[in-house]
Amino acid sequence: MSVTSRWGQRVLALCLIGLFLLPVILGLGGTLLPAVGLTPELAPGNGFARILADPRFLPALTFSVFTGIVSTVLILAMTLLTLVCVHGTRWWSWMSALMPPVLAVPHAALAIGLIFLLAPSGELVRLISPALSGWERPPQSWVVPDSVGWSLIIGLVIKETPFLLLAAVSQLSALNVSASLRIGRTLGYAPARCWSRLILPRLYPRIRLTLMIILAFNLTVVDMAILLGPGNPPTLAVLLMSLVNDPGSRAAASAGAVLLGVLVAVCFFGMMAVECVVARVAARRRQSGERGHGMKLFRRLGMGAVVMILIASMSSLLLLLIWSFTRRWRFPDALPSQWTLANWTSRGDMLLQPAMTTLGIAVTVTVLSLLAAIIWLEFERRAIVPRLDGIWFVPLLIPQVSLLFGWQAVALWAGIDGQWWSVVYTHWLYTLPYVILILAVAWRELAPQWGHAAQVLGAGYWRVLWHIRLPLLRRPLCQASAVAVAVSVAQYLPTLLMGAGRHSTLATELVTSFGGVDRRVIAALAVLQSLLPLMAFVLALIYPVWRHARVARETAPSPIRALDR
Amino acid sequence: MSIPDPYCNDSSVDEHQLRNPRSSEAGMFQQIMRHVQQRVQRRVQRRVQRRVQSRMQSRMQSRMQSPMPRPLKRGVQLSAGILLLASVTPSFAVEPDSDWSEVLEEARGQTVYFNAWGGSDRINGYLGWVGKQLKADYGVTLEHVKVADIAEVVGQLEAARLVGRNEDGNVDLMWINGENFASLKRAGLLWGSFADNLPNARLLKDSASMQFDFSVAVDGLESPWGGAQLVFIHDTDTVPEPPRSAQALLEFVRNDGRFAYPAPPAFHGTTFIKQLLIELLTDSDAQAALSLPVEEADLAAITAPLWAYLDELHPLLRGSGKSWPTSGEMTRQLLDDGELDIAISFNPNEASAAVRGGQLPESVRTYVFDNGTIGNTHFVSIPWNASASAGAMVVADFLISPEAQARKADPEFWGEPTVLDLQRLDDEERALFDAVDLGVWALPIGAGKILPEPHSSWAQALEAAWLERYGQ
Repeated sequence: MSVTSRWGQRVLALCLIGLFLLPVILGLGGTLLPAVGLTPELAPGNGFARILADPRFLPALTFSVFTGIVSTVLILAMTLLTLVCVHGTRWWSWMSALMPPVLAVPHAALAIGLIFLLAPSGELVRLISPALSGWERPPQSWVVPDSVGWSLIIGLVIKETPFLLLAAVSQLSALNVSASLRIGRTLGYAPARCWSRLILPRLYPRIRLTLMIILAFNLTVVDMAILLGPGNPPTLAVLLMSLVNDPGSRAAASAGAVLLGVLVAVCFFGMMAVECVVARVAARRRQSGERGHGMKLFRRLGMGAVVMILIASMSSLLLLLIWSFTRRWRFPDALPSQWTLANWTSRGDMLLQPAMTTLGIAVTVTVLSLLAAIIWLEFERRAIVPRLDGIWFVPLLIPQVSLLFGWQAVALWAGIDGQWWSVVYTHWLYTLPYVILILAVAWRELAPQWGHAAQVLGAGYWRVLWHIRLPLLRRPLCQASAVAVAVSVAQYLPTLLMGAGRHSTLATELVTSFGGVDRRVIAALAVLQSLLPLMAFVLALIYPVWRHARVARETAPSPIRALDR
Repeated sequence: MSIPDPYCNDSSVDEHQLRNPRSSEAGMFQQIMRHVQQRVQRRVQRRVQRRVQSRMQSRMQSRMQSPMPRPLKRGVQLSAGILLLASVTPSFAVEPDSDWSEVLEEARGQTVYFNAWGGSDRINGYLGWVGKQLKADYGVTLEHVKVADIAEVVGQLEAARLVGRNEDGNVDLMWINGENFASLKRAGLLWGSFADNLPNARLLKDSASMQFDFSVAVDGLESPWGGAQLVFIHDTDTVPEPPRSAQALLEFVRNDGRFAYPAPPAFHGTTFIKQLLIELLTDSDAQAALSLPVEEADLAAITAPLWAYLDELHPLLRGSGKSWPTSGEMTRQLLDDGELDIAISFNPNEASAAVRGGQLPESVRTYVFDNGTIGNTHFVSIPWNASASAGAMVVADFLISPEAQARKADPEFWGEPTVLDLQRLDDEERALFDAVDLGVWALPIGAGKILPEPHSSWAQALEAAWLERYGQ
């Protein structure tokens, strides 16, 4: 390969990284500058003084910290409990099959389904009323969303536990779990002890980054907090959202976004401190030599937890589906009294337009992300660029609010807000990390011998890539596309802030219209929003199998042809 | 070693053909640049002419006052614009007082971005119908930009002014009234006095609330669209005799009645506390203070009875004053669920529409407080930097046509009282309104006294004070 083309490729790689980091750097700058008062024409006033003086700031901050930390701790606990209790049982394969679709359900749709499920007039109460509970009217002892934040915590736990669990499962293969367990059992340790002494200490460092992403997300989520958090006080991120569009408060919103970023960083440090303490305690306990006993109850508990999560999210989805075909469904009835197709047919344009926008953006973003990931991983494989896994996590670790406020200000200043492609660009920023991280594993594991063999037979680089490497990687490519679609469909804040309201997707439509629009139409919107990623996952599952079958059929000599010969 | 490519030797691809497209590309680029230059020149010429002729000199001055964009920024904007091949922007040919035929001509082919509250699917559906009619009759494409709270748009416009985007704005038409109108008018962010120039404006009612929007003079800067009044909906099966005053309401929740109102600044909530304030003020001096700017009044003294009332009310509400419904529509949904006994609406015919749509039981009725409730008019207006002002005017005119207003009055589609004076319509047009059946669920016509809104400055002051007390 000539020197110039190598340089050309280096430049291309640099452009790619630049394109990826540009919104991050500009966005952070665009948040920081107004916050410290350096852009008086865009955001006049002293942001920090104003946000600190806002009476809602402290309650909102406390509320964010409470929901963020409690939900993250619960997510970690649920995940570990599930691993310890369910791994290796006959439930395991069932559960692993159910996890990806649960993961694909967008946040907004899940949140709305949960409200339909848990509210005092929700399906849970309807099922037991009035026969079991004696309630002729909805009970008044709780409301959803509640004022403490439990609704939000439940929503976050249900949404994020499968994410952490999948991340953990993908790491288990490298840990040689069954061998460790066997050794532990031979030495007389109870199964739970084997996990906590032999496997978890090695597993935790591998899922730490995912956990950090989840922590950052929980502390700063906007769409779920709007739907499931109480409005008064809202979480800090939601409070900042309500300030950002008012130029008089933009400085305050930016300063708040900076503080939110600081909060996330502080929580990261806190997490590390806790890790140190736990590690020290665990090290001491590991040497105690206690074997422990069976703890059947513990196992049941873990099983119950994971089943609850799966049931809650599945029944939320089912409930959305039922509501979308409902005409009339009053309180104590367990099922609708009148059904209709009208929610789908007569409001067709209201559903179709955002669905088409969502699909258009998702498909474009998926193609662009795949393209970028393939380019980057090929460069990496050929040692043109170094491995830079850490960089891709950056947008996921920075609160969306902190990054996008500034990026929106930059877009506004450059006059590119409200453009379709700037929405796509911002979505790309959030999908590319997942696509690259999914593909990277497969890319690095793929044996280079296939390519070498093809080259020896005279195939050029492109031919090897197109006919050998990509087909061999068909399955991970499909998985990555499905994840990209799911991530893009769920994006709320990037669409809202960059689209200037002109590009309404299912996510923005759901969150803005919830509470106002007819519940039955909301349900139909939510079903559509869940359907798109689910379809992507199903296609990703089916396509490689179908392809494989076709290729096998074409190449294998059929018995009849064999006879002819 | 490589596989011979059969296309490599193809002699039909010669150098001439390879170079040709590039040269034609360059030519096209020059053409585009020339076109852009011409447009800019024409626009500048037109603007200079107009500055001499136009009566709108003051508006021009306010436009000149905006911060001049720095050359660097201009460059970025321009190159970004060229790079993105942003759609060619229509120029400002019409003025608020242009001849109507000129407006119609310019509007044809324009896309109007109408920023309107998108929280009701019935309204969204109605606007979908409006869009179809406009496309067919005037060649105008209507894009409904659904916003959660129109105050956001006011913020967007202020931001656009700050960064100096004085044309090609994102908003062509918006649905506003009250404090949002007042702040836009004060900041000079409205296009001009276009409302009286609309042909259908002669059909409008003569009503004070159309001349003064929350005590602020309208001056033709916005065109009326609909009337609204605060009403309550109750289910006669659970609450045969609903509370008909603020004090009765308090008594009602004390006796386990289920009630909640949307937290301000959601406008149903703000209107509800304004209603309470009016009702709790017994002193006529204090009542008179409400029609003046809030700065001239003793806010703490006037609002003291309100806070005392709310302090008592809030612990008894659904959600104990800590978790709130997000909108009036949500209270209607909660009424249907049985979580509330009384829903709040700003549309006297909403219950009627909801019963027909299967969203409320047939046993509901609509009522107002005995001493009347707050009513107002809402409007549409055009911002100063609209890209399609001609199209926006055509839309505003169509919205007050008898055809559009009659459909809007029908609970089947929206069910909101009209702003037209039925006496001024011809028989055929009046028949459209006569055909509308409101049903028993709506507020009986003439049942409720309409109270005027306080001065627009009160809304913000009340919202801030409310948030200060109950928002933490």
